[in-house]
Amino acid sequence: MMKHASVVVIGGGIVGSAIAFSLLKMKTKNVCVIEKSYVSSGSTGRCAGGIRQQWSSPMNVKLAMRSVKLFEEFEKDVGMNIEYYQGGYLLLAYTDSEVDDFEKNVRMQKSQGLDVEILTSNQIKEKFPFINVEDIKLGSWCQSDGHANPQLANIAYAIAIRKMGGEFLTHTTVTGIDVQNRQIIGVQTDNGYISTKIVVDAAGFEAPKIGSMIGVDIPVHGERHQILVTEAVNHFLDPLVINFNHNYYVRQTHHGSLMMGQGDANPASGEDLGNTIEFLEEMSEKMIKDFPLLKNIHIVRQWSGAYDMSPDAQPIIDESKDISRFIYATGFSGHGFMLAPAVGESVAEMIIHGQTVTTDVSNLKMDRFTIGIEREHNVV
Amino acid sequence: MKEYDAVVIGGGPAGMAAADVLGDHVKTLILDENDMLGGQLVKQTHKFFGDHVHYASTRGFEIANKFIDKIEKKPVDILTSSTVIGIYPQNTVAYVRNGHEDQVKYKKLIIATGAMERQLPFINSDLPGVYGAGAVQTLMNQYGIFPGKRFLIIGSGNIGLILAYQLAQTGVEVRAIVEALDKIGGYEVHANKAKRLGIPILLKHTIVKAIGDESVQGAIIAEVDDKFNVIAGTEKEIVVDTICISVGLMPITELTEQAKCKIAYIPELGGYVPVRDERMRTTNPDVFVAGDLSSIEEATTAMIEGKLAAMQIVEDVKKIDLEKEISNEIKTLAIFRSGPKSLKIRSGLEKMGIVTPRIEMPKFSPLPNSENGKLHAVIECTEEIPCNSCESACKFDAIKVGENINTPPVFDPLKCTGCAVCVTVCPGLAIFMEKSDESPNATLGIPYEFLPLPKSNEKMWGMDRDGNYVCDLTVKRVVKNPNKTYIVYVDLPKEFVDVVRHVTYPRKENPFVCRCEEITVDQIEKVIDSGITDFEEIKRITRVTMGPCGGKNCKMIILGIISKKTGIPISKLSHGTSRPPVKVVEFSAFLRGDKK
Ligand SMILES: Cc1cc2nc3c(=O)[nH]c(=O)nc-3n(C[C@H](O)[C@H](O)[C@H](O)COP(=O)(O)OP(=O)(O)OC[C@H]3O[C@@H](n4cnc5c(N)ncnc54)[C@H](O)[C@@H]3O)c2cc1C
Ligand SMILES: Cc1cc2nc3c(=O)[nH]c(=O)nc-3n(C[C@H](O)[C@H](O)[C@H](O)COP(=O)(O)OP(=O)(O)OC[C@H]3O[C@@H](n4cnc5c(N)ncnc54)[C@H](O)[C@@H]3O)c2cc1C
Repeated sequence: MMKHASVVVIGGGIVGSAIAFSLLKMKTKNVCVIEKSYVSSGSTGRCAGGIRQQWSSPMNVKLAMRSVKLFEEFEKDVGMNIEYYQGGYLLLAYTDSEVDDFEKNVRMQKSQGLDVEILTSNQIKEKFPFINVEDIKLGSWCQSDGHANPQLANIAYAIAIRKMGGEFLTHTTVTGIDVQNRQIIGVQTDNGYISTKIVVDAAGFEAPKIGSMIGVDIPVHGERHQILVTEAVNHFLDPLVINFNHNYYVRQTHHGSLMMGQGDANPASGEDLGNTIEFLEEMSEKMIKDFPLLKNIHIVRQWSGAYDMSPDAQPIIDESKDISRFIYATGFSGHGFMLAPAVGESVAEMIIHGQTVTTDVSNLKMDRFTIGIEREHNVV
Repeated sequence: MKEYDAVVIGGGPAGMAAADVLGDHVKTLILDENDMLGGQLVKQTHKFFGDHVHYASTRGFEIANKFIDKIEKKPVDILTSSTVIGIYPQNTVAYVRNGHEDQVKYKKLIIATGAMERQLPFINSDLPGVYGAGAVQTLMNQYGIFPGKRFLIIGSGNIGLILAYQLAQTGVEVRAIVEALDKIGGYEVHANKAKRLGIPILLKHTIVKAIGDESVQGAIIAEVDDKFNVIAGTEKEIVVDTICISVGLMPITELTEQAKCKIAYIPELGGYVPVRDERMRTTNPDVFVAGDLSSIEEATTAMIEGKLAAMQIVEDVKKIDLEKEISNEIKTLAIFRSGPKSLKIRSGLEKMGIVTPRIEMPKFSPLPNSENGKLHAVIECTEEIPCNSCESACKFDAIKVGENINTPPVFDPLKCTGCAVCVTVCPGLAIFMEKSDESPNATLGIPYEFLPLPKSNEKMWGMDRDGNYVCDLTVKRVVKNPNKTYIVYVDLPKEFVDVVRHVTYPRKENPFVCRCEEITVDQIEKVIDSGITDFEEIKRITRVTMGPCGGKNCKMIILGIISKKTGIPISKLSHGTSRPPVKVVEFSAFLRGDKK
C-alpha cells in the first residue's frame, strides 16, 4: 500500500474506477483507489448494464452521448472486451401523457444531435414481432443505445489502473479522513494510512457515510432494486426494452440470458439487499403478457442492488464548498453505469484543470437543490 | 430310452443349485443348450450381490465354475450343447445334441430355462448396431468382441447399469443411459458406479429413432411425459455406433406350457409365468420351476428356488423328510424378499396365493463417525438391498447387517482396523477407505477395476460422484487383490476426501470445472495467474457458478484451485452468496391463473 497518493478515490465501483482510470490516462501519478470489498461488489456488480442516451434534459443527453463515444472506444482504450452491444433502446408509451413526453424528448434529443426516432405501434410490431403491442401507442427508438457487461467493465478498469501504475486496493475500508483547516491531509483505512490532499467520494449509495466523516452532507440514500436473469436462449432481442407503464426493463445478454428488473412499489432501503418472491411473480406476469414467447423460459437467479438515489434522480457531481478538494460523484439513481466513462473523464478534468473541459456537467452541481430542482422522470 | 428320477432343464444358477441337491439323493440329468453350464452367470464379470452362503461378492462366471466343480463330483449326468425342443406325453423330454434328436424320460422335471430380453420398438430398430444387452455381454465377456466404440444404453435396470460399467471398463465410451421412468430402476450402488465414470443417466427419456443407412450412426432421444409419450421439441441427436436395449426380461415359458402347467399373466413377476406353489411345484404335480422363469429376480433367489424344488422332489421320490430344510429355505427367501426393491415380487406372488411373511428389518442407529486420524472404511450403502458381503468379510465385527440381509450395513469406526477387506468384496464398490488428520492432505482408498493399474507416485485426476473433475492427486500405493478389485490409495487435499470417488488418468483435454458454463481448470488458472484471486472476481470474468446450478456442483472445486494457487486455505476464502431460486423455475410457474 502506498504511503502517499496524489488522489485517493474512495469506492472501486464503476464510477470510482472510471475516475481513477481517466486521471491516470491524463498522466496523473500516484492515484489510489480504495475498495472495501472485491471489484464490482457494490451496485455495479448488480446492475443491468443498460447504456442509453434518451434522457429528458439536454445536459444529460450530452453526457450520455459522450459516454457512448467512450464505450465505443472502451476495448481499445481500457483493454478488455466488455460485451458492448449497440442493439438500441426501445421505450414504450401507453398513455397520452407518455406520448407527449416522448415526442417532446425526441425533438429535444434530435436537437442535441442524437439519432432517435418515434416508432408507431405497427412499426414496433414489424421490427420486433415477439412483442405484444396491445395498447402500445408508440415507441421511442435509438439504435446507438445498447448495453455492456458492467462487471467486466469494472474489472477491466481495475486491471488497467494497476497496469498504468495506479494502486487499486481491495478488501480495504476507509474509516476516516483527516482534515486540517478545511484541507484534507490523509485517509485512514483498516489496513493503514495514506496521506493525500485530494479525495474523491465515489462510494455509491454509501457516499453520504464518507461525507459525514468530515461533516459534508450529501443528500443521497440507497434504494433496493431487484433484478433477475434467465437461462440462455438463442439471440432474439436486440434492444433493451423499457416499459415505464408496466414498470420494467429487459435486455438479452451476450451470453443469451435475459436480464430484467422493475421498480418496486415500496422499495426497501439500500442496506437491505434481500430478495422477494413477489418480484418473481410480478415479473413473470409482465413477461408472459408482453413477451409471450418467454412463458416457458426458466428463471435462473434473482438478486438485488442499491440505486444511489438523489432528490431529483440525477447525479451529484461537485467539489465541496466546505472542505477543499473533497469531490463527490454519486446520486446516479439507477444510471451510473452508463454515465461512468464520461463522468470519470469530467471528474478527472475537474481535479486536474479545476473545471470540466470535454462535457458540461454544471447542471449536476449540489447548489441545484437550493435553487430548485426538476426531477428526471424517465427512470425505472 | 433312459429314465431319470429327476431331469433339470436349464443350467443357470437355479438349475445348478437344483442338480447339486438332487445329485446327493436321486438319479439326475441336467440339460443346457450352451457349451457349458452357468446360464446368465457365465457372461457376468461383476461381483454378485446377495448372501455370502449364496456366493455373494463372487464374480458371476466364478460362481458358475464353483457350481460346476461341485456337480461334476456327484453322480449327475450333464448334457451341455443340448437344446430341449419339447415336452411330450408320458414324461418325455426331447432334445437336440450335435445335430441329433434324442429323448429321455423323467419321474420329476424341473424347468429352469430363465428369461429372455424384451424388445423395444423404435424407428430403425432393425439396423445393424442395435443389440440386446445380453448379446453385447456375450460378445464382450465371453468372446472378447466389441460391437462398437460409442454406446447408448436404453434402460437403467441393474442389467443396463452393469453393462454400462462393464463397457467402460473395456475402454469404450458410453454416451448415456436413458430411462423412461423418473427414477433409476436398478440398485443405487450400481448406478453410482456408472455415474462416477461420468456416464449420464437421463431419466424420463426414451429413444425415438436410430439413425444410419447401413448401420447405426446415431440416435435421436427425447423426453417423455408421465404417460411415456414423447414431448415434441425435446428431441436431440447423439452420435453413437451401438445401441443396447435392456428394458427388462421376460420368462421363457414355452416348455412349461407344453408340460401342461397353468400359465398366468402377472406383470410384477415379469409377464406370463407358470403358476406354482411355495415349493415351486406347478399345476402339474410332476413338474417344478425355478429361477427367472418363475419370476424375474436374482441369482440368489434362483438358487434357493432350485434347492426348494429339488428338496421337494427328493421328498416325493425318496420319501426322505426334509421339512426342516425346506422351511429354512422358505424363510431365507422371505428374508431376501423383505426389502423395498422386492415389493413388486411380493405383490406378484400374492396374486398367485403365495404370501411372503413380513420380516421386520431391525433399525440400527448409526454410530458416530470418529475422525481419529486412523485409516478406516466409509460405507456408502443406504438403499435396502439384499446383500451382506461386507458383514461376512469383516473379521473385526465392525460391520453389522444382521439376519435380514436387506438391512443397510451399520459401521463401527472404533472397531475398524483399516484392513480394507470389505472394500474389495463389496459388489456395489460402495466402500472407500479414508484417513484424515490435522495435515492439509488426506488419504483416500478407492476400489478400482480398470487396466492398466496406476503406479505409486503417479499423478491422476480425482473425479466426483458424477464423474466430474475435482482435483489433481497423487497415487500412494495400489493394493492388488486376487478377486481383481484393487484398491488405489491416493493423497489429496483434505477438503476433497468426501468428494472424490474415482480416479482416472489425466486426459488431454482440459477438465471442465463448471459444467453449466463449460469452463476449464485452465481458464480459471489463467485468470488467477493474471493476479485476480478473489472468487467473486473470477466468477465475473469466467462465468463459473453463474449457470443454472449456481455453483452447487463446482464451487468447492474452484475454491480448491484458488487455494492451491494462492496458498490461502479454503476456510479463509470468500465463497460468494447463494441466491434464489436454488433450482431454475419457468416464468409460467408464477402465473396466478396457472397456480394449483
Ligand atoms: C438492479 C440494478 C440495475 C441497474 N441497472 C442499470 C443500468 O441498466 N444502467 C446503468 O447505467 N445503471 C444501472 N444501475 C445503476 C448502477 O449500477 C449504479 O448507478 C452504478 O453502479 C454506481 O456505481 P458506483 O461506482 O457509484 O457505485 P458502486 O458500484 O456501488 O461502488 C461503490 C463502491 O464503494 C465501496 N465503498 C463504500 N464504502 C466504502 C468505504 N468506506 N471504503 C472503501 N470502499 C467503500 C463499495 O464497496 C462499492 O464497491 C442499476 C443498479 C441496480 C441496483
Ligand atoms: C447383467 C446381469 C447382471 C446380473 N447381476 C446379478 C447380481 O449381481 N446378483 C444376482 O443375484 N443376480 C444377478 N443377475 C440375475 C441372475 O443372473 C439371474 O436372476 C439368474 O441367472 C437366473 O437364473 P436362472 O437359472 O433362472 O436362469 P439363467 O441363468 O438364465 O439360466 C437359464 C439357462 O437355461 C438355458 N435354456 C433356456 N431354454 C433352454 C432350452 N430350451 N434347452 C436347454 N437349455 C435352455 C439357457 O440357455 C440358460 O443357460 C444378473 C443378470 C444379468 C443379466
